Amino acid sequence: MAESELLDAEEYRRLCDYLYRRTGMAFTEARRYFVERRVEDRMIATGSSSFASYFARLRVNMEGEVEKLINAATVNETYFYREDHQFTCLTSNMLQERLRVKPPGEVLRIWSVPCSTGEEPYSIAIWLLENWPEVDAHDVEIVASDIDTNVLNAARSGIFGKRALMRLSAGLTGKYFTRAGPEHWQILDELRQSVRFTAANIVAQTETRPHGLFDVIFCRNLLIYFDDTSRRIAAENLYESLAPGGYVCLGHAESMSRISPLFEVCRFADAIVYRRPLEAKHG
Amino acid sequence: MADGKMRVLIVDDANLVRLYYRQILEEEGFEVEEALNGLEALERLLVSPADALIVDINMPQMDGITFLGALRRQALPLSAIPALVTSTESSADDVAAARAAGANFYHVKPIGREVLARYMAMFCGAPQ
Amino acid sequence: MPLIRSKCDNAAAGVLREEPASLASASPDERWAAARAACDPACISSLGDALALELDARVRQAIFTALARIATPESAGVILPYMRVDDASTRTGALDALRAMPEAARPHLPGLLVDPDADVRILACDLVRDAGGADGPRWLCAMIETEPQANVCAAAVEVLGEIADAAAGPCLSRCAERFPDDPFLRFAIKVVADRVRAETPAPRG
Repeated sequence: MAESELLDAEEYRRLCDYLYRRTGMAFTEARRYFVERRVEDRMIATGSSSFASYFARLRVNMEGEVEKLINAATVNETYFYREDHQFTCLTSNMLQERLRVKPPGEVLRIWSVPCSTGEEPYSIAIWLLENWPEVDAHDVEIVASDIDTNVLNAARSGIFGKRALMRLSAGLTGKYFTRAGPEHWQILDELRQSVRFTAANIVAQTETRPHGLFDVIFCRNLLIYFDDTSRRIAAENLYESLAPGGYVCLGHAESMSRISPLFEVCRFADAIVYRRPLEAKHG
Repeated sequence: MADGKMRVLIVDDANLVRLYYRQILEEEGFEVEEALNGLEALERLLVSPADALIVDINMPQMDGITFLGALRRQALPLSAIPALVTSTESSADDVAAARAAGANFYHVKPIGREVLARYMAMFCGAPQ
Repeated sequence: MPLIRSKCDNAAAGVLREEPASLASASPDERWAAARAACDPACISSLGDALALELDARVRQAIFTALARIATPESAGVILPYMRVDDASTRTGALDALRAMPEAARPHLPGLLVDPDADVRILACDLVRDAGGADGPRWLCAMIETEPQANVCAAAVEVLGEIADAAAGPCLSRCAERFPDDPFLRFAIKVVADRVRAETPAPRG
């Protein structure tokens, strides 16, 4: 295996420490091969002759190198049912927990932010219909927001290519989509109408507040791009946007441990998620 | 735990401190995990518990004393994991706060190989 | 259809009140809201006053965020005294806020690195990592030449492990010679010195 090791052990540690502090992404030794390949790609792309010179470039964020490495490390691509273990956790744990403490009859509210071109909020809608036996007994509202109005328009139109649908079975595609061309499918009108799309910048309290309180927020692979101050503001906005006891889900390489102490960590069978404490802690 | 090794979680934001403990403990036959602050440690322990902890005091996001307090409020077996607090802080206040939060031992840095190995052996029962 | 779409903003949402909140309110929620709204340099002194009295960890966090957001040397200055308080979680909050405002913290660093309190000097070393900029390696190298406390040198060496280049080699060696009996410092200096040496380009020709 020695020839596959681009970085020595000390360099890998230094890189992981830096990435954790700078982005909140936590990589362990188990992910070393994956991380090294991404770094190798970035070293080639930047013409860096050694890890030392690449790391110096990364530390000063030359030409946006931090963002470029994050993109490489998160596979910056959205598709239906991405990281669906969190959807499993949603239907087997989080919604049940919320129903236990919510007044009967109150709407369950889920927020997908950033929603990009809509794969995530529509995935949630399909997942609930397919996998949650209680779906007919409760009202669920799905709100989807992004800062980019172009992607919101695409999301509203609900037309997707083959790659976005790769994780869905033919059965699900047939059930929830109609063909919109040789390579494209459009999600059913009924589902399109069920998701409300809004423009929102998660760092702007004036834009997050009007959305009200949510039971579950999906905020995946966004905070890793922020600097410390923006991340703190975003975490406080997320906290304010959650009902007490509500949950926030981050991307699978992300850890709230680097971002904010406002939330409690919760381990369910399928996912680690973060919860706004039911009662505010004092002292 | 397939190989029967005892697991120690090092909770310290300093990379070289963790590396120093890791090398000593691996040579002494322990399996070692690392976390860079108290919140990350809680997250890791919820996924897989450890047999002993080495905990720094000053760390980002969640300090060692707050971490120990939060850990002792968890359900068993997490709440009972023994913890050695190592810190550069030698004030009586810190020692008292660490004890009150649930530290089993408090050791002012630096900590040498033999001493560290002795604490861990005491917590875990000698490896082998 | 179980999936519903609300008709307008705030429907089903538990509309939040929009009253001006006060940092001196009896309610932690109102103090939190007031701290979050105070992101203008004119608020620095009232945030400082509130910080001195605040006992709720969540509100304290919001005050620190507001000061980090203002991000001036003055707002950083309000935070500095909290690096030396007894309560570890307050120290952590202060440090995290200073880390979030590196440019604003930078002017304070030279003073912090020679603070009479060794514990403050240790915390200052970590701030140099991001706030020191191009001066960081030079500051920490100068520090480990004379710093009397081994634990402070160890904190400086930790940061040099990330930011130092070959120029740090000689002062690392001298620091190691001053503390031959500290097992950790010896180890840490060796790791960092080996790295900077390995990264030194071989002389050409």
